[in-house]
Amino acid sequence: MKKLNIKNIKINGRKINSNMVIGASILLVLTIVVLVSLFYTPFDPEGMNVSLKNAKPSMTHFFGCDQFGRDTFSRVMVGIRNTFLISVATVFIGVVFGMIIGSVCGYFGGMVDEILMRINDALYAFPSVLLALVVISLLGTKTTNVMIALGIAFIPSFARMVRGEYIKQKEMDYVKKARLIGASHFRIIFVHILPNITPVLLTSVIIGFNNAVLAEAGLSYLGIGVQPPDASLGRMLSESQSLLFTNPWCAIFPGLVILLLVLGFALLSEGLSSEE
Amino acid sequence: MKSNLIYFAKKLLVMIVTLIAVSFLVFLAFEIIPGDVAVSQLGTEATPERVAALRHELGLDRPFLVRYGDWILSYIKGDFGTSYSYHIPVSSMIAQKIPITLAMSLIAFVITIAISLPLGVEMAKRVGSKVDKCVYTANQVVMSVPEFFLGIIITYVFGLVLHWFKPGGYVSYNVSFGRFIGYLIFPSIAIAFPKIAMTVKLLRSSIITESKKDYVRTAYSRGNSTTQVLYKHVLRNAMIPVVTFLGMVFTNMIAGSIVVEQVFNIPGLGRILLTSISNRDYPVTQAIILLIAALVIVVNFIVDIIYHILDPRVGGDK
Repeated sequence: MKKLNIKNIKINGRKINSNMVIGASILLVLTIVVLVSLFYTPFDPEGMNVSLKNAKPSMTHFFGCDQFGRDTFSRVMVGIRNTFLISVATVFIGVVFGMIIGSVCGYFGGMVDEILMRINDALYAFPSVLLALVVISLLGTKTTNVMIALGIAFIPSFARMVRGEYIKQKEMDYVKKARLIGASHFRIIFVHILPNITPVLLTSVIIGFNNAVLAEAGLSYLGIGVQPPDASLGRMLSESQSLLFTNPWCAIFPGLVILLLVLGFALLSEGLSSEE
Repeated sequence: MKSNLIYFAKKLLVMIVTLIAVSFLVFLAFEIIPGDVAVSQLGTEATPERVAALRHELGLDRPFLVRYGDWILSYIKGDFGTSYSYHIPVSSMIAQKIPITLAMSLIAFVITIAISLPLGVEMAKRVGSKVDKCVYTANQVVMSVPEFFLGIIITYVFGLVLHWFKPGGYVSYNVSFGRFIGYLIFPSIAIAFPKIAMTVKLLRSSIITESKKDYVRTAYSRGNSTTQVLYKHVLRNAMIPVVTFLGMVFTNMIAGSIVVEQVFNIPGLGRILLTSISNRDYPVTQAIILLIAALVIVVNFIVDIIYHILDPRVGGDK
């Protein structure tokens, strides 16, 4: 029997970089689709056409049509745009508040840090979709509320990560020297330490996007978020579910696109974290 | 032995404090919602006198902390309040649904452990081989599949094409326990699959990290075979991060089951949670959220205990 082989991990090292390339390319293509969808979709995503009801995929309608005769491809384009928009807002809220809470807690420590982190840990253990559902039940099911709800649900993980980094960094010499030349705490937190944690922050932002896309898709599948007739990938899946037997492509294509989006972010973060 | 007891007591105390803190947060969150419950319940019939009367009847005119104390005590007694929309006790609404969601999460959890642990160990043994690369790539893809999409694919392939089960043909556990479990297997697989991929990946990399450490070389030099080193020394240490992760997996499975229930048309906790959210039926939402939160905290407590058994250094007497 062979010994536990350690050297071969290098093979994975090379493979992980191809992860980054594939992930970035997937995301690039999807970003281009989003940009194009701002100006052009092959058909009106909300335009119904009785004669095209449940049409099969063809050269004119790449992904076929749904039960109202709407072009699935055009709706998927708009759906990716909505998912992008919500994910960006979600990650933005999570990062900004997570940064502030995490940096202050990590840098200053003490009682406030202790209390905030206990609450943070309890929230962190709570599944983010459920946390978002709590906030939505308080605010209502509008799109902006989904952004706020998911954003809040993502704060604990960012805060935890940023705090850990600040605790590591504040013991370093450059921070002590900055204190000696009289830099303010505010300046040290944002001008001196922040640039040093960007690589770690970047990786967790990408992971954040990965989770945000999954959570948004899950919520919109449940009918929470983007409201009809505006297209959303999750809702397209739930709408086409009853027609699954006769018309599977209406569910399969939007589902595959969600999968691609998540996969793109997953591969990118995998590649980035192995670069460090 | 004594240090074990102290550790256990300490963790128990932390668990109780966290439970109180979280229940307070849940109570507070539903206190600050805009709009008066009495006004919204009375609707168009809301005159100032009637609102005041209803507020008194519901006990809303008492101080905040008194109401919190009352609320939490009645929860401990098993009284979860009355639903706004159905006017029946919340406890009777959710008591029947808890076994469904819990059974689904448990089956998914068992599937995850049964597949991911052997597979993760096997992959770590074959690092760099063709099989390892294939599984690694497949893992990346499976990890990215949303549970509800997997559920839809399973419904299509196994339900509609192969006829292994009847989509939407859920059987209550009161009718036939066997058929109940039989129906839940498919949604459980949908919940379990992405988690299996994540666990395999974590276990594999955890074993690889452990096997680079000095004690492994020492174990080999004492004449142990690879199997002995792996199962007696490496695996025990490699399991530590995996146990923490599995704890999170279980709580996430409850969240996942709420979504997947909708795919397979199962009348579990998820269905009531969603209806209560759209009806603004706060006592129901509050009860379900608090219940899940309590479950999460208890699971974390169990994880801490297992953690301590696996690695007695953690949290021991210093």
